[in-house]
Amino acid sequence: MKRRPAAVLVISAATALWAQPGPRALDSKTRVHVEALASDGFDGRLTGSAGERLAGDYIVTQLQKIGARPLPGRSDYRLPFEFTAGTRDGGSSISIASGPSVASGVVSGSSQSSMSRTEVQALSFSDNAEVTAPVVFAGYGLVVPDSQDFGYDSYTGLDVKDKVVLVLRYFPEDADQKTRGILARYSDLRYKAMAARQHGAKAMLVVTGPRSPNAGETIPMSFDTALAGSGIVAASISGNVGKAIFTGVSGKTLEEVQRSLDSGDPHVTGFAIPNLSVTIHTLVEREKQTGYNIAAYLPATMGTASVAKPWIALGAHYDHLGHGGNGLSLAGKEEAGGIHHGADDNASGTAAVLAVGEAISTQPRHRNVVLDLAFAARPPIVLDQLAAYLNFDMVGRMQDNKLTVQATGTSPLWAKIIEQANVVAGFDLQLQQDPYQPTDVATFNEASVPSLNFFTGTHADYHRPSDTANKINYEDLDRVVDFAAAITRRLEDLDQAPPFSKVQQTQPGGGRAGVRVFTGTIPDYSTEVKGLLLGGVMAGGPAEQAGLQKGDVIVEIAGQSITNIYDYTYALEVLKVGQPAKVAYVRLGERKETTLTPAARK
Amino acid sequence: MQILRTALALLLVVVPLASQEAWSSHERDFLTRIRRLTVEGRRAGEGYWSPDGKRIVFQSEREPGNPFYQIYVLDLSSGETKRISSGLGKTTCAFFRPGSSDILFGSTDADPKSKQLQDEENAFRASGKERRYSWDYDPEMDIYAYNEKTGAKKRLTTARGYDAEGSYSPDGQWIVFTSMRDAYNRTLTEAEKKQLETDPSYFGEIYIMRADGSGQKRLTHVPGYDGGPFFTHDGTRVVWRRFDEKGLIADVWTMKPDGTDQRQITDFGAMSWAPYEHPSGDYFLFASNKLGFENFEIFMVDTAGTKEPVRITYSDGFDGLPVPSPDGKMVAWTSSRSGGSAGQLFLAQWNHEKALEALNRAPLRKPSKKS
Repeated sequence: MKRRPAAVLVISAATALWAQPGPRALDSKTRVHVEALASDGFDGRLTGSAGERLAGDYIVTQLQKIGARPLPGRSDYRLPFEFTAGTRDGGSSISIASGPSVASGVVSGSSQSSMSRTEVQALSFSDNAEVTAPVVFAGYGLVVPDSQDFGYDSYTGLDVKDKVVLVLRYFPEDADQKTRGILARYSDLRYKAMAARQHGAKAMLVVTGPRSPNAGETIPMSFDTALAGSGIVAASISGNVGKAIFTGVSGKTLEEVQRSLDSGDPHVTGFAIPNLSVTIHTLVEREKQTGYNIAAYLPATMGTASVAKPWIALGAHYDHLGHGGNGLSLAGKEEAGGIHHGADDNASGTAAVLAVGEAISTQPRHRNVVLDLAFAARPPIVLDQLAAYLNFDMVGRMQDNKLTVQATGTSPLWAKIIEQANVVAGFDLQLQQDPYQPTDVATFNEASVPSLNFFTGTHADYHRPSDTANKINYEDLDRVVDFAAAITRRLEDLDQAPPFSKVQQTQPGGGRAGVRVFTGTIPDYSTEVKGLLLGGVMAGGPAEQAGLQKGDVIVEIAGQSITNIYDYTYALEVLKVGQPAKVAYVRLGERKETTLTPAARK
Repeated sequence: MQILRTALALLLVVVPLASQEAWSSHERDFLTRIRRLTVEGRRAGEGYWSPDGKRIVFQSEREPGNPFYQIYVLDLSSGETKRISSGLGKTTCAFFRPGSSDILFGSTDADPKSKQLQDEENAFRASGKERRYSWDYDPEMDIYAYNEKTGAKKRLTTARGYDAEGSYSPDGQWIVFTSMRDAYNRTLTEAEKKQLETDPSYFGEIYIMRADGSGQKRLTHVPGYDGGPFFTHDGTRVVWRRFDEKGLIADVWTMKPDGTDQRQITDFGAMSWAPYEHPSGDYFLFASNKLGFENFEIFMVDTAGTKEPVRITYSDGFDGLPVPSPDGKMVAWTSSRSGGSAGQLFLAQWNHEKALEALNRAPLRKPSKKS
């Protein structure tokens, strides 16, 4: 899958198992596609790379073979798009000027110091600009919306218009669990930057306080695919720079100020830092590249006049991680930098779309069927003409006959259609209503298109070079193709398009806070259980040290009950590094308790 | 839940298995290629095979506007389902008649209040309130035989009181069923009247009749719910479940179709019910909450009841109403393993050889604590 909740970081140091061609099942509909797409020659299919273009060539050839045509009004199967392939700091700098006449904006008779790059680092979403202005310290820079009825606003009583605000990273360290839980939700750096911008600040500086994890460190540039800045200059500064700015504050150190804020008391306020101004210059370099979505369609063979919404789309992303250089790789040390073959993720889904297309290409149909192989679902046709969308994201590693079908809540008709198709296909279906999951279905759900995503579960090779073609379960992948082809045929023949139903989103609003603790758990997404099912634990990690193991279901952490992955991510946000937390879990039907001591995550 | 936890803890002592893999592989000894058969609707269950093994008749809450079960026939080769009940009122427990195109089931649709009861239940559900699922033993329930060819429906029982849970003999000439008519055809004592209000199933007894509804005859006479009768594969005996008077403990019993030679097969100290014979004639499959009040699992026991029952399923929630296919190679059952509290129909390959091995290994039945 392409995107995962932030809590999930799986790192393993196992040796790579390189692909060995297995016995060739001549009758497999999908093996040849997966083996081609996941071969070394395609070099991991990184978006914008030569490998991606080769994979695209292969897909186009296959689409032509089954008689699929470029979308109406186009002559090419490829749809180019520009994207940000990566971000890096191109040389941001900061200087501090202090002296009595600073307030007038003139630096004269003052001391001035300039800081090197290790002391300042732009945040990935920063605008590129230079700002010189006095500094206002705004505590943790947290603003809880009025609608939350909580009453916490770091900007109360502060005038930050046209100033540089200095804020602490994270949220108050010593507040009670409930307060931390609420504040954590609004402590995401993007959210803090938005609050600073809305209060009129020209720039936001973030310092990791002496009392926080990763104290004094700057924040590594995160992978951010945003095409442009977020409307404010934003940078993280080192503890040294923070200290230097605080020299203008008489009688208080940064640590003392943080301590007073850490209780979570909303009445502790920030203050303007007198006799000092900073000049912050940010430079975020965004590497723009061109990627290619591929889309084709099998035209209806019978008139579409009798059907409402004459289009259906089948989609899968075909890109992968290349050599794993973009921060999403989970490769262990010994395999790092190797070709990430992406056989399951998502050569399997791409193969499924091609094979379903082939299966239906020879049969009469009342609807046009789009085959959409895309980097990111960019609906290739007018969405109000689209009756349904089927997505395939990692469908090659079925175990125990279990097929997960997600987003079933998007139409009341899915149950009937899925039931009929599955009586014949015979899967142990794991149905999940939720369309708000890290798959391309989310885009179509927002556009009120009934959608489904097929998924056969996570595994230890996820996002690692060892996700190779010889590990694919082709027999069951072919069954997924038959199942999806049966559903597609049903959709082709319906006079009325399936009605859309909106699933209420359960995730709390507000900005997502970055999870800063490391627990070493590997959640299993494929099974819907009450709690968080562990697909494994990382060797030597805090979870393993706490005695947790594969198959355990975490139901409570630090007194907060866990019913799903969102609860879990949310609970992690309020844990403290090095502070033992009680974890309740169910093993073999029996509730047990242990103590887990989270480590710091960089 | 406390009961459940204690029971599981005890089990762990008795059967120390190291990992979850070991547990699920236990289930896989008997059941492989598990598949979910029904998806549509709030719940489904009571799936029974057609004699040729190509179709399954079941009950499901999926009729638009009707919150109660209706009866559907599912074609296993096409996946198509067809409702065969009227769509009105409550129905339950269908069964194919061998050598015929008749299918019997219980229905309340002759009750003029049916629509009103549907509306009341819909209003209750719309209010967002919830209550435990329970079956109400509607006294207007009667047994009908529906003919698939003609679409005609013949009423087989008319007595006041719940008549349902019917099944045909292998030759299609007889029907065994459950009736609670004993609560209505005589004067009840004050205690019995109170009993009828709180739990009418107390009056449930096993009856037999001819396939045309004639010759209705009572076979059991013991206080407490006797129900869920089925003929064995050769038609020589009837297997059913007998509850104690309090309705908490039930065990599997068998008898001759004339009601004589009643034998207790299990003495499991739990709610053990829904027995159905494997067509080999070697064992019964049944459901029991031996491991926790709400955790029903499927067990099997040899047809003579000489051994301790062997556990089949290992999943949380409900597993029950097991019914082997006519060739004995598959089992259909009702399970809540896919999540939520409501059951859906499941199907799996059944390993008869492994079942026999496990039965051979099973210890002899322990003498009853009661006697």
